Amino acid sequence: MPLPRWALALADDNGCSGSTNAALTAVTSLPNLDERALVAEAQAGSRAAFEELVRRYDRDVLRLALNLMKRPEDARDVYQEAFLKVYRNLHRFRFECSFYTWLYRIVTNVCLDHLRRRQARPEDQAPETNSGHHDEGITDFFERQREHRPTLDPERSLMGQEIKARIARAMERLSPRERVVFEMKHYQGLKLRAIGDMLGTTEETVKNSLFRATRKLRNELGGLR
Amino acid sequence: MSSIEKNVKCKDVAPLLVFYACDEISESERELVETHLANCKACSEQLAEEKELQAALTSVPQTADEVDASGILLSQCRSELEEALDDLSAPPLQEHWRPFGWLRRWMALRPAWTGALLVFLGVLAGTQVVPWLQNSSGRNATGQAMNVRARQPLTPDQISGMQISGVTFLPTQGSDSPNVQLQLNAEQPMVLTGNAEDSDMRYVLTYVVKNGDRFDAGTRLDCMDALKSAARDEQVRAALVNAARNDQNPAVRMKALESLRDAAAEDDVREMLLDALEHDNNPGVRVEAVNLLVGSLDHEAPEGGAPPASGVVAPPGLGESTDEDASIERVVRVLQQLQRRDPNRYVRLRSAAALRQIGPREVQ
Repeated sequence: MPLPRWALALADDNGCSGSTNAALTAVTSLPNLDERALVAEAQAGSRAAFEELVRRYDRDVLRLALNLMKRPEDARDVYQEAFLKVYRNLHRFRFECSFYTWLYRIVTNVCLDHLRRRQARPEDQAPETNSGHHDEGITDFFERQREHRPTLDPERSLMGQEIKARIARAMERLSPRERVVFEMKHYQGLKLRAIGDMLGTTEETVKNSLFRATRKLRNELGGLR
Repeated sequence: MSSIEKNVKCKDVAPLLVFYACDEISESERELVETHLANCKACSEQLAEEKELQAALTSVPQTADEVDASGILLSQCRSELEEALDDLSAPPLQEHWRPFGWLRRWMALRPAWTGALLVFLGVLAGTQVVPWLQNSSGRNATGQAMNVRARQPLTPDQISGMQISGVTFLPTQGSDSPNVQLQLNAEQPMVLTGNAEDSDMRYVLTYVVKNGDRFDAGTRLDCMDALKSAARDEQVRAALVNAARNDQNPAVRMKALESLRDAAAEDDVREMLLDALEHDNNPGVRVEAVNLLVGSLDHEAPEGGAPPASGVVAPPGLGESTDEDASIERVVRVLQQLQRRDPNRYVRLRSAAALRQIGPREVQ
């Protein structure tokens, strides 16, 4: 599992989070600033500094949103809503935690709100596009797989799709918070303490959520071998 | 193996296996779990299942990998965010202050109601507001003199045909000439307001005095009173002199004399006064004439003159005989006659006193 990009960004003293981001930020004079200086600049009203902060973390934000929401439209809404909240409330950020923790707290809260709304009104939600291949039948799927990944074993691919579908169904049984915790732990690679900070709760609570999520998934995916 | 490790049961370790598998366990718990796993096949198998499950879960391609592998969605999100930030960063539209903007919008949307409202407001302003303003300004007036001229000059015909139904003296501040309001019944009833300085008003008042037989005594008295301040005007003086000579009512004649007080030194007035002393049958008029004569002479006499040594009036002094001296001489002579012959004792006494008063001048 690859490390999330924000983790790379944190590891990089220059604040560059990767080649793509480096290309994007090369046109400005801000990339060399560390996170604290950037936040301070943005708090002082610098739009460029804020956009630099966005570019450093938005790929991971969108990834988290996509994985949690499953639908690109919902992920786009989460992305927009979260960063606008950050923009409006940046003056309240007092450096009591790292900026990415504060940012993720906002993103996860927005995701939780959306997931809770979705749970409350499931009829309003459009079907998940997921990979977008399910509706087109197995034949088309195999053809597409051959075209793009000719070395892949068709049988294995089919099994992977089935497993994925089962996992997706099992994930639907999780509560929004369990889903977020599971996602952040297993797909974003965050430590439970960091997840607790981001969700504004204790590590113990996050542990409980992860334990319940794992138990539910094991029950749903008991024969997954 | 310690006793503690022996006492650790599977049910204690099982909950920790989830976190052991994902490396979220403390060192002490790790040691406990690993010690137990070394001797417990069931828990080891459970841990293997746990790891297998996690591996299966994490090996499945994620939505983000499939949906936005090319980064198109990320670009779209960035563009939308920039647009939203543009909207947020844009300064709010500075609307110019427009008073009653809501009213104008309301009017623009409801033309029929607007028309009715405007008509109503017009009627209201015409019937209520304007009279109210007029009354208000009338209340606020603090007795200010106000000359109201007739729109057109009074014609001789109007004057000759007019009747006066009322004379009202208005309160006047700081002026010798009282304001008068005359209610005239001419061809068209009118109210004339002003004072004797006003030509129209003076003309009407003088006409009344001159044609006293057409007006009642009260009106004549009021008009003479109003003309006091204009007694030096030749026409006014002539009318008053005429009234003093010819009016049938002695009170009116006395009022005429009173009104002529300021002009008593004029020749025609003095002549009239002397005639009144000799011929007016009313002692009150005669006394008033004496008073005016003495007053007029007092005005002419120099101050500080000593009283005469005796009651005998000395003949004119050494100076040449002027018209003034002749006039004074006649006054003295008439007064002397009055002192001796007037049937009224008070007139005689008053004449004697007058002679004593005007004496200093003769001594001079």
